[in-house]
Amino acid sequence: MDTSALEMGADPLHVIVGVGEIACAHEPEVLVTQALGSCIGLTLWDPRLCIGGMAHVMLPASPAGDFTGRRHRFADLAVPELVEEMLRLGAGRHRMIAKIAGGAAMFKGDSGMDTIGKRNATAVIEQLEKCGLTVRAADTGGSHARTIELHMNSGVLLVRSYTFGMREI
Amino acid sequence: MRLDKLTEMQIDALREIGSIGAGHAATALSQLVGHPISIDVPTLEIVGIGDVPELFGGPEVLVAAVHVRLLGDIGGSMLFMAERTSALALVDLMHARAVGSARSYGADEEALLTHVASILMSAYLAAVGRLADVSMLPARPSSALDMAGALMEAVTSAAALHADVALLLRTRFHDADTSVDAYLFFLPDPEALDLLLGRLGVA
Repeated sequence: MDTSALEMGADPLHVIVGVGEIACAHEPEVLVTQALGSCIGLTLWDPRLCIGGMAHVMLPASPAGDFTGRRHRFADLAVPELVEEMLRLGAGRHRMIAKIAGGAAMFKGDSGMDTIGKRNATAVIEQLEKCGLTVRAADTGGSHARTIELHMNSGVLLVRSYTFGMREI
Repeated sequence: MRLDKLTEMQIDALREIGSIGAGHAATALSQLVGHPISIDVPTLEIVGIGDVPELFGGPEVLVAAVHVRLLGDIGGSMLFMAERTSALALVDLMHARAVGSARSYGADEEALLTHVASILMSAYLAAVGRLADVSMLPARPSSALDMAGALMEAVTSAAALHADVALLLRTRFHDADTSVDAYLFFLPDPEALDLLLGRLGVA
């Protein structure tokens, strides 16, 4: 596939969410996170207010004690804090639509690495359930990288990959 | 010990070992393919994990990668990465044919690149192991062709690495006509790095 098909223009409406970050956005912005491998991209969207949130989660659980680096790379911190942030912006807990993508096993044949994507997906789903939310749509697993875009006007989650091109969930 | 606290002398020592390893890998590859191939390690740098995708032009750029987990005294990972067109050029270099002959990165190309990367990594580990008197064994290599950001992220999260930096050995393969650049990342566990530097006499 031509690589330019996946390249991102410098669109000012695109809010890029980095690895281990969370962010919220309003219409007409688009929340984007690039190159999810074993990580999980979680999106929340409120259809009444057309606002949304996104997290790029790298690991299931934060370590006990002190740690350095971005706190939102851990599912147990990122998920509840993203939900809180959405509620603070006025989103309704029971209106919010949660979707997830990512959690791939990028390198086949390494036993240690195969499971991390799956464990990330499980952890994000568990944390959502603790917040009273269930996953409405998911595109997880496989062995391919994904870039995702959450569109605020429609709540559509666009999943792009070299393997499958574009998918909407 | 953290990688980003390394002194210039320690970096020089590790780069020197990298050159020795590259020399051995070049000999091995030349034997394998039946014509002379050289490998240089022009620089060794400390890079932030988050900055790695930018080396290739962004997180979504398509790169070929080979990963091995390290077993033995020194735990950690090694990751070989080459931008897709460089990976194809490397395949052509191994076949002693004009760059541009390999057009798609299929199973044969992936197998050859995995073999090349695995020889390079084994030679590096053997050189480090001999000088530092430590055992470092590569586990079975695994490979992928996908977005640079996703591949690096998978390696670091699988190891749940405390470190957010890696040692980068820029690696240049060449014969009389062609030169191809690739990247070799060494991600030792922090406690393993202490042991390694101590044994090298540069702790």
